[in-house]
Amino acid sequence: MTPEQLEKLESIERVREGYAELGYICSRQIATAIYVASHLGKPVLVEGPAGVGKTELANTTAAYLDLPLIRLQCYEGLDEAKALYEWRYAKQLLYTQILRDKLGEVLGEAQGLKESMDRLHAHADVFFSERFLAPRPLLKALREPGGAVLLIDEVDKSDHEFEAFLLEILSEFQVSIPELGTIKAARRPVVFLTSNNTREMSDALKRRCLHLYVPFPDAPLEREIIQARIPEIPRHLKHQLVSFVQQVRELDLKKQPSVSESIDWARVLLLLHADELDPDMVRQTLNVFLKFEEDIQSVDAELYGFTRQAKKADGARA
Amino acid sequence: MERTFTNFLSALRGAEIRVSVAETLDAMETAELMGWSDRQGLHDALSMALAKTAEEKTGFTRIFDEFFAFESFHDHQEGEAPEGNGQAEGGDLLAMLEAGDRAALALAMQEAAVEVGVENIRFFTQRGLYTQRVLQQMGVEGVDAQIQAMGGQGGGGSAGQALQESRAWLFEQVRNYVEQQLSLQGAATSQELREDRLRRSRLGNLDRRDREQMRRIVEKICRRLVALHSRRRKMKNRGQLDIRRTMRRNYGNDGVLFELEWKKRKLDRPRVMAICDVSGSVASVARFLLQFLYELHELLNDIRSFAFSGYLIEVSEHFKDNIADKAADKVMQKVGYMPTDYGESLTNFRESFLADVDRNTTIIILGDARSNNTDPKAGYLKEMHERCKRLIWLNPEPPPLWGTGDSEMRRYRPYCDLLRECNTLNHLERVVNDLLETTQRAA
Repeated sequence: MTPEQLEKLESIERVREGYAELGYICSRQIATAIYVASHLGKPVLVEGPAGVGKTELANTTAAYLDLPLIRLQCYEGLDEAKALYEWRYAKQLLYTQILRDKLGEVLGEAQGLKESMDRLHAHADVFFSERFLAPRPLLKALREPGGAVLLIDEVDKSDHEFEAFLLEILSEFQVSIPELGTIKAARRPVVFLTSNNTREMSDALKRRCLHLYVPFPDAPLEREIIQARIPEIPRHLKHQLVSFVQQVRELDLKKQPSVSESIDWARVLLLLHADELDPDMVRQTLNVFLKFEEDIQSVDAELYGFTRQAKKADGARA
Repeated sequence: MERTFTNFLSALRGAEIRVSVAETLDAMETAELMGWSDRQGLHDALSMALAKTAEEKTGFTRIFDEFFAFESFHDHQEGEAPEGNGQAEGGDLLAMLEAGDRAALALAMQEAAVEVGVENIRFFTQRGLYTQRVLQQMGVEGVDAQIQAMGGQGGGGSAGQALQESRAWLFEQVRNYVEQQLSLQGAATSQELREDRLRRSRLGNLDRRDREQMRRIVEKICRRLVALHSRRRKMKNRGQLDIRRTMRRNYGNDGVLFELEWKKRKLDRPRVMAICDVSGSVASVARFLLQFLYELHELLNDIRSFAFSGYLIEVSEHFKDNIADKAADKVMQKVGYMPTDYGESLTNFRESFLADVDRNTTIIILGDARSNNTDPKAGYLKEMHERCKRLIWLNPEPPPLWGTGDSEMRRYRPYCDLLRECNTLNHLERVVNDLLETTQRAA
C-alpha cells in the first residue's frame, strides 16, 4: 500500500467519512470490515440479500483507494480459461507460420533429429511465454503493479470446482500456470467476494475470508443513503418513504424491496412531484419496488395502514 | 490474554460455531489490530473473522455479550468496610474482605478460577464442587478459622458478624461466577447429550416438550444432507469423444484439433414421490415424517408428496407455502386420524397420479401397512413398482411385527426395492442418505 492509501485507511471513522464523500453510506460493521481486511490483507466475503450495495462496496473501495477495479462475474460453467488465463493459440500458430524460415535457419546445419531437438531447446519456450498469454481477470488482478480491487461477483453462482480453484488465489495470492510456473501477486489486491446465498459456500472458502453480512439497513441509515444518492429529495417524503419501505419489509413477501429499489422509488416519486406519500400515488408506483403480482397484492391490502403509519412516524418526529 | 481467548473460542464451539485453527489465528491478529478498548469494534471485527453465516453471527453476539460481560463485583452492603482487628491471620483474603476491596477480590477470584480450571466445568451437578475449589484456592480456610476464633471469644461482636456476612457474600459471588462459566462451557455438552438421546429414541415416544428440540435436529440433519447432496456433479465418460464439442472448441485454432472434448453427463437430483400414512396408528410418527418431508422439499427440487389414511390426496402445495408446523397441521386436519385403508388409497393414487410416475421416479412410502383388514390391493403396488425406478417402503414398526394382525407388509413386500424399519431420527437420516446416494449412482 502506498502511504496515501494507508493514510486513508488509518481509522474506521476515516473510512466511513471517506466513503460517505463518495456517496456510499456504510454502517459501522462495513467500515470495520474494510479497515480490518485491508490491514490484514484478507479477502472479504460479503453476503446479504440482493440490492443492499454489495457490489457497490467494491466499486466505492476502488474509487476511494484510487485503484483499478477488476471484476469477475461468476456463472455456472465458468472455468479457469475464462477466469485466469488462456493461451493465444491462433497467435502461436500464426507465429510458427511466419517464422518458418527463421526456424529453418536455426536448424539449418543440424545433423539428425537429436541435434535439431537440442538446438530448438536452446531457444527455450518461446511459444509458451507471457507474450502468448491472454490474462483473464484473476491473473490481471495479480499482475497489476500498483495493486487492484478484485471483485468476484456472485460467487455462489459458480460451480464447486471453481470455488476450489479460487482457494489458492485467496490464501496465497498466487496462481500456478504449468508452462510458466507460479505467478505471485505484484501487490496484494483488495478482494471482495459477493454472494446472494443461493447456496452455502464451502467451509474451506469461508475459512480464508473475513465474513461480512450486510442486512437491510435500519431506518436512519436508509434515510442517510437516500439523502446521499438523491440530495434534492424533500425531507417529509424521505422520512415517509423510508418508514413505508421498512414496514413493507416486515411482511412475508416473495422478494423484499432492496435499497436500490427504494432509491428508484424515491426517484420516481420525485419525478411525479410528490412532497408526501399519498395512497393513490403509492398504489400506482408499487411496481417500482415490488416485482411479483402476489407481493403487490399483499402490500395493497395494507396500503392505507402503512401510509398512515408512515405519516404518523414522520409527524411524531417533526 | 491467550487463555481468555481460547476459553472464548471453546465457548463459541459450544454454541455450534465452527472455528478452525486458521480462523483462530486470524481472530487474534484482528483483536490485536482493533485493540481491546473499543468493545463494539472488537465485536464487529471478531464476528467477521469467526462467525461465517447469519445464524452463527447471532450465536456469536450472544456468546460475546455473555463472555465479555465485565463482572465487577456487586456491592453487597452499603455500610463502610468492617474495621479490621489488626492481625490478618487468614492471609490476603481476610485483609481484602475486611478492607472491602472489590477489585482485588474480583482479580483474586479470576486467578483462583484459572488455577482450578473452572473452564472444564460441564454439568450442573459440578457447580458446588467448583465453587468450593475456587473458594479454597482463594484461601477461605483462613477466613473460616478467623470467624471461628472470633465466635469462640464469646459472640465476637460486630466485627465477627460483619466478617461472616462478607464471607457469605463472597460465596454468592463465586457461585455466580461458576454458574456463568457453566452456562458458557457446559451448554455444549448437555446439548450433545440431549440431542443424542433424542436421535435414538422412538419418534412415537417423544414428549411434547421435546418437539421444538426435535424440529431443530431435523433441520440440522436436513441441512447437512442438503450440503452433501445438493451438488450436481459432472461425470466424464472417458473414452467417448464428443466430436461436436471438440470441433467447436478448436475453431480458434484454425480447425486443428488441439484439444479434445469427451462426452460427459450431468447427474441430476432424483425425482421423488413421497406417500405418507397419517392415520391414527402412526399419527405420532407421522408428524415427524411430515416434518422431514417438508425439509426434503428444500433438498430435492422435484418432489411431490401425498398423504393418506382413508383416502389419498396430494399435499405438495401445503409444503411449499407454509412453515413446517403449519403445513403438518393442515395435512393432519385434512386426512389425519382416520382409519387406514391402503387399498382405497392405492386406488386413488393409481387413478390420479400413476400417469406421472416414470422411469426416473423414486417412490417412498411411509406407513405401517396396517389396513384394518380391507383389501390391500397389492396388485396396484406392483404396477407402481413396475413403472418407477425404485420403490422404498419405510415402516415405523420393527420387523418382527410385520405381517402380524392386520399388517399387510408381507403382501406388499415383494414389490419394494428397499424395505426398512424407520422409527428414529437416525434411521430416517440413514435412509435418506442411502436414497440420495443410490439415485446418484444409478443416474
